[in-house]
Amino acid sequence: MNAIETKDLTKKYKTKTAVDALNLTVNEGELFSLLGVNGAGKTTTIRMLSCLSTPTSGEAYVNGKSCKDEKDEIKKIIGISPQDTAVADNLTVRENLDFMASVYYTDKAVINEKVEDIIRIFNLSEVENQKAKTLSGGWKRKLSIAMALISEPKVLFLDEPTLGLDVLARRELWHAIESLKGKMTIILTTHYMEEAEHLSDRIAIMISGKIKACGTVADLEELSGKKGLEEAFVAIAERGMSEDE
Amino acid sequence: MNKIKAFSTRNRKEILRDPLSYIFCLAFPLVMLIIMTVVNSSIPKQAGMTVFRIDNLSAGIAVFGQTFVMLFTALTVTKDRSGSFLVRMYATPMKSTDFTIGYILPMIIISFFQSVIIYIASFIISIITDVDLNIGGMILSIITLIPSAIMFICFGLLFGTLFNEKSAPGLCSIIISLSSFLGCIFFDADATGGAMLKICKALPFYYCTKSARSCVKLDFSSSTFIVPFIIVIACAVILGILSSTVFKSKMKADLS
Repeated sequence: MNAIETKDLTKKYKTKTAVDALNLTVNEGELFSLLGVNGAGKTTTIRMLSCLSTPTSGEAYVNGKSCKDEKDEIKKIIGISPQDTAVADNLTVRENLDFMASVYYTDKAVINEKVEDIIRIFNLSEVENQKAKTLSGGWKRKLSIAMALISEPKVLFLDEPTLGLDVLARRELWHAIESLKGKMTIILTTHYMEEAEHLSDRIAIMISGKIKACGTVADLEELSGKKGLEEAFVAIAERGMSEDE
Repeated sequence: MNKIKAFSTRNRKEILRDPLSYIFCLAFPLVMLIIMTVVNSSIPKQAGMTVFRIDNLSAGIAVFGQTFVMLFTALTVTKDRSGSFLVRMYATPMKSTDFTIGYILPMIIISFFQSVIIYIASFIISIITDVDLNIGGMILSIITLIPSAIMFICFGLLFGTLFNEKSAPGLCSIIISLSSFLGCIFFDADATGGAMLKICKALPFYYCTKSARSCVKLDFSSSTFIVPFIIVIACAVILGILSSTVFKSKMKADLS
């Protein structure tokens, strides 16, 4: 079974088409990146797949469940870390995790176990009693991802997880994301080439709401005839934009 | 149920850890209680003006305090909506009723303790000023203030859902001013009568103060307590349904 499957998935806002007839397949356990410039439709795609936005037309399936008809079922098996760090500012790191765990589980012992596990996995113990509003950008992102993981989702959506972080915080977050590879399906949006190259099993290049190319870094290099992901991306993007015109 | 409990706990902690909530929801009403007691002591007895006497003032200030709970409800909702926090929560199995009850419930608890503190302060003032204040009446008044608290909290939820971080507090300020004046907290509309009393009676705030005040005095007659209290309950129910419906439709629109 595919973790993600879309058939002509489209989202229109009045006159603008944000996502245009997207056909996408993501395998179970894969780390799949949506790479594109701002306004390419990456976040809109993630919003539709995580049931935060209703498609204008087309179909989307998460673990075989329809994003139109089985929203409640999908919400039980996904985790999302939005672009902005969505944490409760006046709660401590531990309380934020406890809060999210309490949304999914009823047994206090299970909740405590989940919180302890995630604190250990993400090395959050040194800041566990610190209020979220006092954390640095890197720690906040880490907490945001940890909150998305507390329900042990089958599919994790990471929307620009390292946006605005310094190079050290970004590298640390990469290690955290890498440690999740294979344990769940991860859909990551980014406009950082090195991030997509470093983390992804496969990459889809999105331009103006359409996927212009999809495959491994080697596939994209071969397709574009260029060396390196950045060069390949530029070549594919320019070709895609000229096709649209 | 666990989702409501988790969300309520989060909201309660968010508000109780904000120092501003203590200044507005507790310190300011208590300061007003003291100031108005001083004003009352300056009014000659011959004037026959009793609106600032502690047996009248205590219930009024309790209602006044609830208007600031409304403000903090609106602020909490707008803050959650302006960031990505609600977006994240929308992607969880939480339903719109989990959110609305989760916002309302902790505010009722906060408002309850706020009333308790205001009445304790009032009781101390009553001893100092040698005014008879019935403890049983105050306890009953704290309970009968709950529908009024729900009404103000639902106003906050409604404004927080419909408006942004800049306009929602502004609208709350209008309600605070209206309820202070037309709710007869700092003004005796019954003594004034005429058009002013008609305007006051056309708004729910008058009945909040009237029923709470009557309860403190253990006056449970139909015109002073039962009818006003039923009106407050009706307003709380209407606003509860309205704010929940608006939140649900706004959530639906956000997810479209």
